Amino acid sequence: MPKDHSEVLQGTLDLMVLKTLDALGPLHGYGIARRIEQVSEDLLRLNEGTVYASLLRLAQKGWIRSRWGASDNKRKARFYEITRTGQKQLAREAESWERISSVIGRVLRLESQH
Amino acid sequence: MDDEIRAHLDMLAERFVAGGMSPREAFYAARKQFGGLTQMKEDLRDRRALPPADVLARDVRHALRGFRKAKGVAVSAILMLALGIGASTAVFAVLDAVVLRPLPFVQPDRLMSFRSLDRRGGHPTNLSYPNFFDFRSKNRVFDRLVCYRDNRFTLTDTLPAIQVPGEIVSWDLFPLLGVQPALGRGFHPEEEKPGMHVAVLSHTLWQSRFNGDPGILNRRVHINGQLFTIAGVAPEGFQFPQDGPAVQVWTTIAEDNSPTDATPLAVQRGARVTDAIGRLKPGFTPAAAQGQMDQIANSLAKAYPDDDRNVDKTLVIPELERLAGNSRTPLWILLGAVGLVLLIACANVANLLLARGIERGREFALRSALGASRLALTRELLSESLVLGVLGSAGGILLAALILRFALPLAGDDIPIPRLLQAGVDLRVLGFSIALVFATVALFSLAPTAQIARLDLATSLKAGAANIARGHHRVRSLLVVAQVALGLVLLVGAELFIASFAYLVRRDPGFRPERLLTFGVGLSETRYNTAGEIAFSDRLIERLRVLPGVRAAAAGFPLPLEGHQMSVGFDIEERPAAVPDRPASDIAVVTPGFFGAMGIPLLQGRNFTEHDDTGAPKVLIVNEAFAHAFFPGENPIGKRILPGASSGSEEPSLREIVGVVANAKQAPLTATSDPIYYFPFKQLPWDIGTIVLRTAVPPRELESAARAVLTDLDREVPMFRVRTGEERSSASIAAPRFLTVLLGGFAGIGLLLTAVGLYGVLSYTVLRQRREIGVRIALGAARGDVLGVVLRNAMRLIAAGLLLGLGGAIAATRLARGIVLGIRPGNPIFVIVGCAALAVAGLAAAYVPARRALSVDPMQTLRSE
Repeated sequence: MPKDHSEVLQGTLDLMVLKTLDALGPLHGYGIARRIEQVSEDLLRLNEGTVYASLLRLAQKGWIRSRWGASDNKRKARFYEITRTGQKQLAREAESWERISSVIGRVLRLESQH
Repeated sequence: MDDEIRAHLDMLAERFVAGGMSPREAFYAARKQFGGLTQMKEDLRDRRALPPADVLARDVRHALRGFRKAKGVAVSAILMLALGIGASTAVFAVLDAVVLRPLPFVQPDRLMSFRSLDRRGGHPTNLSYPNFFDFRSKNRVFDRLVCYRDNRFTLTDTLPAIQVPGEIVSWDLFPLLGVQPALGRGFHPEEEKPGMHVAVLSHTLWQSRFNGDPGILNRRVHINGQLFTIAGVAPEGFQFPQDGPAVQVWTTIAEDNSPTDATPLAVQRGARVTDAIGRLKPGFTPAAAQGQMDQIANSLAKAYPDDDRNVDKTLVIPELERLAGNSRTPLWILLGAVGLVLLIACANVANLLLARGIERGREFALRSALGASRLALTRELLSESLVLGVLGSAGGILLAALILRFALPLAGDDIPIPRLLQAGVDLRVLGFSIALVFATVALFSLAPTAQIARLDLATSLKAGAANIARGHHRVRSLLVVAQVALGLVLLVGAELFIASFAYLVRRDPGFRPERLLTFGVGLSETRYNTAGEIAFSDRLIERLRVLPGVRAAAAGFPLPLEGHQMSVGFDIEERPAAVPDRPASDIAVVTPGFFGAMGIPLLQGRNFTEHDDTGAPKVLIVNEAFAHAFFPGENPIGKRILPGASSGSEEPSLREIVGVVANAKQAPLTATSDPIYYFPFKQLPWDIGTIVLRTAVPPRELESAARAVLTDLDREVPMFRVRTGEERSSASIAAPRFLTVLLGGFAGIGLLLTAVGLYGVLSYTVLRQRREIGVRIALGAARGDVLGVVLRNAMRLIAAGLLLGLGGAIAATRLARGIVLGIRPGNPIFVIVGCAALAVAGLAAAYVPARRALSVDPMQTLRSE
């Protein structure tokens, strides 16, 4: 496995899961893990179990809901899907993430000019 | 969650296999990529614990599992709760049916009972028809005002002829109540006019007598010998009035305004015969309505002083209030008593749970040390309580439903409490029970959960059960003390009612009820005129008298214990007074053999004879109370009075008192004997009355023979209300018996539960003091000393409880004043007996643990710790 993996930043996994569900519609946990892996182009090292912790947190906040269904290969799987409140929350969090990352970006640029 | 993760791992592994790994490598790689599996699962489980229903389900499962291991505790707690909640639910259902539940009519809270107030004594009294008509036409406060009067009707079209309870009402009864007849219509205003004969049948009568024939409408049916047109059939379940026997026939006041009658009831302003009920107009309060009715009453009193001077006031109260009347207080008392029982049961359950808490003290301390939060432990205890509460209440509600369904109708047939038999477990009652369960659970889990809060880890773990027990023990003792106190209140209250009931049973009714058969005969006025009625009565009594097994036969009405039925004013010859100022007293009309047949001794003068008839001088017999009240210190024999009672077209006339008889109780539930004076039937032939047979054999054996005689004389004359004298006595005290049996039962249960509570605590004390007792025995203590330790303990608890309960018990005796008859509630004997009973029960409960203490083997106990 490649060496330059980053740890997932605390709190950002929820945002990624939420965005994934928003973008792709109903997905099971495995699918979410694959998608994040794919999008991050293997840059993120993900303990896939933490996806479930994240899903539980999101479900408890009412941002996603789940139901049982069958996966592509006929396996019984629980599908998660984003709720209306989840979508609103995603918009808010995405905006605040943009703000923070731009601030951090600016700060980091300052450092390097020094 | 497990399935989901397993599926995830499988899919991941498949992916790796597809990428070229061996299945085994893929399995491990998948696990690695997933992360710490066990930790993850635990993490998830902890987080997951949140949907409250799941927590509850888990705790409930846990509790059930716990109780499976402690079956004794669980079963006894559930039984006690079921008993307490069952009894409370049943009593509440009765209270609800009788007192609280609205009347089954449209806008029931606007229905008012309307009566006159007699200013002599201020008691409510019926209205005369002329007064009712004036009130009806002059008032501006009632949308409708309807009068109603009990009567009995004889139906003769099909044999055997039957007598049914009926009601004579003004025309708009059904519109007043907002009730639509199931078939046909109600009455029309013109059907109040003399000569109209229109009836509405009850659904029951329509079904039973007319086979539910829809062609019944406008059919002509013989009722009381008259042809009545059937105008309608009341809806199923319709009952009006709600008290008294279930009415089967309603007819209009034309019945009391017969054109053939010289002075029909409907025109006698002095005859107070009818009740009234009205619907308040919007915006009027009962008090405002009463104010206006008072004005009308006042003007009537001025216009007709002879008849109305004493009824210049009125009473307007909600009909529901009139109906619940005297049952209200006793039923609230019952609810209070059953509440005490429930409290005692709760204390016992709390005690049981505390005892269980002691056993589990170590377990809890350990779990607490291992990280269980206090909240979790408390929650667990609460769910245990809830499980007990729910199971107990389910049992209780079932018990209540059974009692109401089966036991109440058995007991309740005679009980003159309106709507009693309508009691059942419905949604309202269920709501009450559920509220009760939560209150109960809160109560009995209070002490055990408080214990958790005080859980001191270090000491508990070190010292084990013995140490935790000390604090628990104080609480448990307090609970027992409270139980004894509550038990005393309950017991003393019950004693008062039992003593009062014993007085009612034992006191002399003034006649001999044993070997007495009584029954009514329904003569129709159209087929029997007055002379015919007298002749029929003569023939009937003559035939009955010679039946084998009959010692004496007579007739009279009202019979003793039938209450104040007719009160008639009279003028004393020596002290004449204006009409409204004349005294009044109960009267009865009897045939010559009446006093002998009833077993009412003649004290002075002579009995009525066959010669006291229309042509003979008018005579009366009075009872002792009458003689004392109106001729104090004088010999009443030979005195003459002028009663305001006459028959037919005759004017009232002076009558000579020819005899004095002993007091026979007229009203069953009063402490004193009321004055009454008796008319010979032939000199006041109002009604043939109730036939009484004094028998030489058990009275019921003569029923069929008597019926045969009656049928032989006239098969259209029905025999009704066949009762033995003892049944009459028993029915007359049915209401206090009902109350007394229930209160006595509750007190018994309370006593038992208190004893059980005491037993539990003392048993535990002995267990705890085993070592001390062992040492004492080892050091040579006598059996007496050891017994003394336990009994002293018991006595201390009991004495503290009795002291605490004394105040409540005395308050209970205060409360009972005016409700219980024939005893002085303040008599200290009741409190003393209550204390003694509790002390005896308590010491009996202490006996078993005391014996156990004696059997302590010093060697064993000394070694055991």
